[in-house]
Formats: sequence, structure tokens, C-alpha cells
Amino acid sequence: MAKPAARKPKKKVCLFCQEKISYIDYKDTTLLRKFISDRGKIRARRVTGNCTQHQRDVATAIKSAREMALLPYTSTAR
Amino acid sequence: MRNYEVMVIFDPNLDERTVAPSLEEFLGVVRNDGGSVEKVDVWGKRRLAYEINKNSEGIYAVIELTAKPETVKELDRQLHIAEDVVRTKVLRPSVH
Repeated sequence: MAKPAARKPKKKVCLFCQEKISYIDYKDTTLLRKFISDRGKIRARRVTGNCTQHQRDVATAIKSAREMALLPYTSTAR
Repeated sequence: MRNYEVMVIFDPNLDERTVAPSLEEFLGVVRNDGGSVEKVDVWGKRRLAYEINKNSEGIYAVIELTAKPETVKELDRQLHIAEDVVRTKVLRPSVH
């Protein structure tokens, strides 16, 4: 029985490298919300497709936003 | 002299119109010490992502200023003491 061909996951390109955004603003919650799950957790790099540096910047921005109650630490919305 | 961005959350029970004048009072420290205030942006009342001191809302304000590190430290200290201020955050946006 032939083995099914190995699935090639589509290579994601970092959003911030594409758009050439150098500074990720912690006040921009609509953007940051794309990188948290509905539980409020930060999405992993393999999910977001961000590059190492930008994933790091996103994470610090989210943490700053959490400190100022712009984003939730947790949300029990399900 | 360095660029700073200061975010302040005020008590939601305050009148929104009194926020700007009281903020000016705090910023006197910066002006007297040779710094300059570039922008004061009062967002107004906003829902908090979680409760702080039993309040579910807060009055947000963002200030952009240029000052010496000691001056900003003093400003942050004074904001912390004030009872109307719920939370503050000082950031240097140019570093990133």
C-alpha cells in the first residue's frame, strides 16, 4: 500500500515583515487580538507564522497591553 | 533627554472634563525640569479587560513627552501617589 504523500503545510510569511512594520504598538488592540486565542492566550509562532523577532515583539506588546487592562489575562468566554 | 510615552488610567468616577486639567498639573514637573510635552491624548472612558479595584471602566490618557530619566521617574512617582490614578505605564517607544 502506497503511503500517502507527506503533507506540505503552506509556509506562512510573517505579517510584520511583509508589511514592513518595525514597531508593534501595544495600544493597537485590534491588531494584537489576532495573536491571542479566545481564551486570551498568546498564539504560538507555528500558528501565527511570525518570524522570531516579531513574535517576540508581539508577545511583549500583548503583555504591556494586559498590564493596562487593554487585553485580558484570561477570559472564560466559553 | 529621551522620548517617553506615559499611559495613565484614572478613576472612572471622576468627571472626564477634570482629567485634562489635573493631568496638566502633573506635567508641570516635566516642563519645570526642562522637558517638553509633545502630545496629550485623553481617550475618555473605556471598558477594562478585567476589574481593577472593583471598577470595570477607566479613563485612559496617553502622553508623549521628552524629558530626562529622573524627571520621568519623579512624574511616575507622583502619579502613583495620587488617589485618582488607578494605573500608570511608562514606555520608551523609540527603543524598539
